[in-house]
Amino acid sequence: MITLEGVSKQYKKSGTHALNNVSLTINDGEFVYIIGETGSGKSSLIKLLDGEEQPTSGKVMVNGINVGRLRFSKVPYYRRKIGVVFQDYQLIQTKTVSQNIAFALEVINKPRKEINERVREVLDIIELSSEFNNYPDQLSGGQQQRVVIGRAIANNPKLIIADEPTGNLDPRRSKEIIELLEKINKQGTTIIVVTHNDILVNTYRKRTITLENGYIVNDNPEGGYYNV
Amino acid sequence: MFRRIGRAFKEAFWGITHHFAMAFSTANAVTITLVLVVIFTVLVANISRITIDVEGDIQIYAPIEETVADEDIGAIRNRIEKIPGVIRVDFSSKEEELQSLIESFGDDGKIFEIYTGENNPLPRAFLVSVGTGYSLAQISSQIELIDGMASATYGGATIEDFVSLLTGIRTVGYGFALALTVLAIFLIYNTIQITINTRKQELGIMRLCGANNSYITAPLVLEGIFIGIMGSVVPILLTIFGYRYVYERMNGQLVSGILKLIPVYPFVYYVSAFALAIGVAVGLIGSMLSANKYLRWKR
Repeated sequence: MITLEGVSKQYKKSGTHALNNVSLTINDGEFVYIIGETGSGKSSLIKLLDGEEQPTSGKVMVNGINVGRLRFSKVPYYRRKIGVVFQDYQLIQTKTVSQNIAFALEVINKPRKEINERVREVLDIIELSSEFNNYPDQLSGGQQQRVVIGRAIANNPKLIIADEPTGNLDPRRSKEIIELLEKINKQGTTIIVVTHNDILVNTYRKRTITLENGYIVNDNPEGGYYNV
Repeated sequence: MFRRIGRAFKEAFWGITHHFAMAFSTANAVTITLVLVVIFTVLVANISRITIDVEGDIQIYAPIEETVADEDIGAIRNRIEKIPGVIRVDFSSKEEELQSLIESFGDDGKIFEIYTGENNPLPRAFLVSVGTGYSLAQISSQIELIDGMASATYGGATIEDFVSLLTGIRTVGYGFALALTVLAIFLIYNTIQITINTRKQELGIMRLCGANNSYITAPLVLEGIFIGIMGSVVPILLTIFGYRYVYERMNGQLVSGILKLIPVYPFVYYVSAFALAIGVAVGLIGSMLSANKYLRWKR
């Protein structure tokens, strides 16, 4: 479960108030969209959830871990419990599809046998078994994003945070990505998707939280794009 | 464990080969720096040796008044030994003084043999050795104040000035060596920054996937150490062959036989080990500073 209690984030350098007194709860296994205009605080919220930033005030709890108070040396161990997907695919170009997925397990020193087995499973889930030996530049944008999602789920995280995962994709590939995330969600993983894509939000209706100027202005369990 | 170490070595080599020109030029710059460090080290070590020799050779010559009875000499000796800084007091009888005089003139010294026995005009004396760091002038003055002592002399201000000059050169040498070492650290720091920039995305993904700090920093630190070791090869060879050449050319002495150079072996091995240690240390410190800066920046 994810709980934010009165969370505010102000950046010291710029003085920007990115989030103001935000409180919300996301239950295990939920699929949630976070929407809002540029500068509304979506990215700051993601950074607080993945431990990249610490709140100025308030409490960020993810699956019983107080992420805001996490010591620097403990952040990597927290990251092993979550998966993060970004808009720009962030794949290592010199590694194949399999190697990119395996990389997530290698950096946490999983045994080779376990890595091989899990990579095969993940390739099945993301439906890229036939492309296992291809390099990222031999794949389409949608396929590359699938590999990133594959890498994110490689370690069986309970939470996936996706920041604009369809931002660089055409509508058809965007749908495929959301459907893949839905498939992963059905296996019990909590999914948080930050997006601008109103078509997707309206088509695949899920709980939708709308941010504006660092405040939550709408939290609709039925879903649908909320125009500020 | 072994897989992890192997991976760190592999990635460190990858880092060096991937931007070999940069790593090579840094290693060259480290080489130049370490050559200077080694030269200063050899100089400082030899100066230290000469200083110790000079200081060890300096003794205060303190003749005893003729009127002092032989049985009172022991008491005077005790008083001299109690002066802070005095490490040794040797008594020299009239006969020993004459013998020393004769020997100092070599074959010509025989002419002084006529003074043997009752004709000996030389006084009995104490030869006082002083510990490093104590003022010869001050101790001489204190000896002179003791009843029964005729005087107390040493090489005078010139020798003290010489010793303080050597100490000054030694201090400046240490300063230069330290400054050059800091420079080498800075050079390696910059090279590792380039590696980090080249691999920024990969390191970012590692961070994202939960790689711990040591997993990320180990290859970077190893790369820095490799560059440091590469940079220390030429200084080590220069130390071993260069110092041996200089030592043989100068017949193991500087200016005169009094100022002896440190023998080649095992001295060159010590300096070589020191150069290697400095190479490893600057590589380690430079790369760790660089890697930690990245980790601080990228939480």
